[in-house]
Amino acid sequence: MKKKSLLSLLLATCMTAGLLAGCGSTEAPAEEAPAAESEAPAEESTEEEAPAAESSSDEPVTLTVLAGQSTTDAGIEDMIDEALAAKYPEVTLEWECVDWGNDFQPKMQQYMQSGLPDIMIGKAQDVATYAPQGILGEIDSTYLDKGLDAARENVTIDGKTYGLVYNALYQGVYYNKTMFAENGWEVPKTQEELQAIIDDCNAKGITPFASHMIDTWSIGNVTMQFMMNDVFNNDPTWGDKFRAGEVSFAEDEAAQTAYQYNKLIFDNTYPETFSTEQTDCDAKMVLGEAAMKVSGSWSIQNFLDIDESFDFGIFPFPNQTGDSKLIFEPNITIMTSAATEHQDAVNKVLDVLTSDKELAVEILDYTKTASMLKDVTPTFTNPSQADIDAYAADGMIVDVTLGNNQLVWGGFQEENAKDIAAWLQGDESFEDCLKASDGRVDASSAN
Amino acid sequence: MNEKKKISYMEKKMSRQYFLMVLPGFIIFTIGLIVPLILAVRYSFTSWDGMTVEKPFVGFKNYIDLMKDSEFRNAWWFTLRFTIWNTIIQNVVALLFAVALDSGIKAQKVYRTVLFVPCLISALVVGFVWMKMFSNVLPALNDVLGTNINFLLLGEKKTVLQGLLIANNWQWIGYWMLIYLAGLQSVPGDLHEAAKVDGAGPVSRFINVTLPMLAPAITICVVGITTGSLKVYDLLVSSTKGGPGRASTSVIYQTYTTAINGRQYGYGCAMSVTLVLVLLLVAMIQVKGLKKKEVQV
Repeated sequence: MKKKSLLSLLLATCMTAGLLAGCGSTEAPAEEAPAAESEAPAEESTEEEAPAAESSSDEPVTLTVLAGQSTTDAGIEDMIDEALAAKYPEVTLEWECVDWGNDFQPKMQQYMQSGLPDIMIGKAQDVATYAPQGILGEIDSTYLDKGLDAARENVTIDGKTYGLVYNALYQGVYYNKTMFAENGWEVPKTQEELQAIIDDCNAKGITPFASHMIDTWSIGNVTMQFMMNDVFNNDPTWGDKFRAGEVSFAEDEAAQTAYQYNKLIFDNTYPETFSTEQTDCDAKMVLGEAAMKVSGSWSIQNFLDIDESFDFGIFPFPNQTGDSKLIFEPNITIMTSAATEHQDAVNKVLDVLTSDKELAVEILDYTKTASMLKDVTPTFTNPSQADIDAYAADGMIVDVTLGNNQLVWGGFQEENAKDIAAWLQGDESFEDCLKASDGRVDASSAN
Repeated sequence: MNEKKKISYMEKKMSRQYFLMVLPGFIIFTIGLIVPLILAVRYSFTSWDGMTVEKPFVGFKNYIDLMKDSEFRNAWWFTLRFTIWNTIIQNVVALLFAVALDSGIKAQKVYRTVLFVPCLISALVVGFVWMKMFSNVLPALNDVLGTNINFLLLGEKKTVLQGLLIANNWQWIGYWMLIYLAGLQSVPGDLHEAAKVDGAGPVSRFINVTLPMLAPAITICVVGITTGSLKVYDLLVSSTKGGPGRASTSVIYQTYTTAINGRQYGYGCAMSVTLVLVLLLVAMIQVKGLKKKEVQV
């Protein structure tokens, strides 16, 4: 009996100790937070240590890197390693590469409890999520100055810049130029013009749109494209008003129109879209099985891998007012931990990334993306570049970070996309789909 | 008196040895399972977003909200249907395969290996492979055969469950079959002989002799398949991602997306606590019910 009691006591002690240890661990960020939140020391340290990148100490350092990658990015870590080894052999990077869409946020949440990696690579919109938590370090102007000014706007909070935007994607409707020329189609600017092309496609047995709705992210992505041109173009603070209860999906016609464009695509794509992956979809586009695809620069890698002579262009998905802008998305964004113990080494990495133009071109050519560094131009042939340049010259380009910062991806856009998919498949009414988006208002902001 | 002391000393020594042997497992179990479980219960009473230091206490609000959450109900409905069909199909088919292999057919080892190999593959790979099968490989058969069979099972709400059941059963039937096969091979031959002498035919012998003797194996298989199916997640991640829409969102998938992607850690913890309770309840009922039917030889 005594033994049993003793055993029970030990069991209870173990559990209590474990519980206390578990609860105790949650205090760690509380202790770290003030240090992180008091931005002055972080600022001081970066400013003090920035020149250290020039006068390198040769002690070997291993930095941890969490890289939330897009489909185009896998492989750039080897290029960075190689360039870093050439200039700063004493700095080694320990990479943890994850899928940005699915795994970056969970990993960040995990590391916010246990301590952040020295460097994090995500997207520009992540800065708005994590900088207010006081965990990101300010990026020194030595490195920021090597980037385009346009890259800073959406990664700067209260005058402090927490992200170094490295490259950019463009989003819109990719179209098969040859097919357009053969059929006498002009790039549409209005919904009516787009509908005319769709009707002609259908009449000629051509699938108007290639799509891969099995990937819910693709529905979420195109919906934000539509929201940008039909909603945020007219009301740049729509997301904030949504949280303030001034607008809603159930009542806002423009937001509903943006959702309805998904139906337009669904009704004019092949029936197996919910069983088609991105690679298969891109192949259909390249093989001339569809005329258009609402997508982003991430498709270019596939397009050119499948057929390097594939001729394509890009135009913004026409909105109701005929003044759609091409979507621009700052992509690879380097963030640093405010609590890193190796600021000197972190700066060396930033130095390599911003000053090694050969590396930059190599990365841009590989990812088939646009540069956000000054005086760096990728050398790959991008058939849609002429279109991008034309929209840029006309000032018809808009940064999607505006929308992504107000209506976050994880927990909101991503979940809304599932309802849109259910609605498209007839499993949910349009009203319920809108209601579900409205019901998620609390999850629409990162903070 | 000395003899008694000696026995008592031996008992103490044995107890100490047992205790030392149990201790490592117990510590790991406590840290890895009990503590997280207790923490999950604690967080389930908060509105913690998983990022901030503050964990505001909200009492039973998360549990009350769960009752009204249609997405959570739908996730349970999918999980239950997946579990029930899996439990029936895997048990029946695994048992049939085991009986077939136990009947002394030729190349028994080859069949056994072929059926068992899929369970060595990660469920993530299985999900990916079957997604490719349904969307690329099998539809190509239509072109070859000139048929029009709908193989796009994962692309529609009404067929996605069938597609996932095919993938899951393909992976696990061989595993449960081995357990049944081991059970069948341990049934004493004398019992069959005695039944034969009494005039029992093959079907009668199977129902009245084999099945009761297989009861321990049935208990293991039923409980294993049920609890495994209730926890389905990895298969979904690589095949349907819970879609189309939310048509194949399981409770664990919903919990993960809510807690981590949706930054509703407290609410997600409430979801996981309900799952643990259901798992415990189901396992207890099944073990109790099935144990009664077990026969000791």
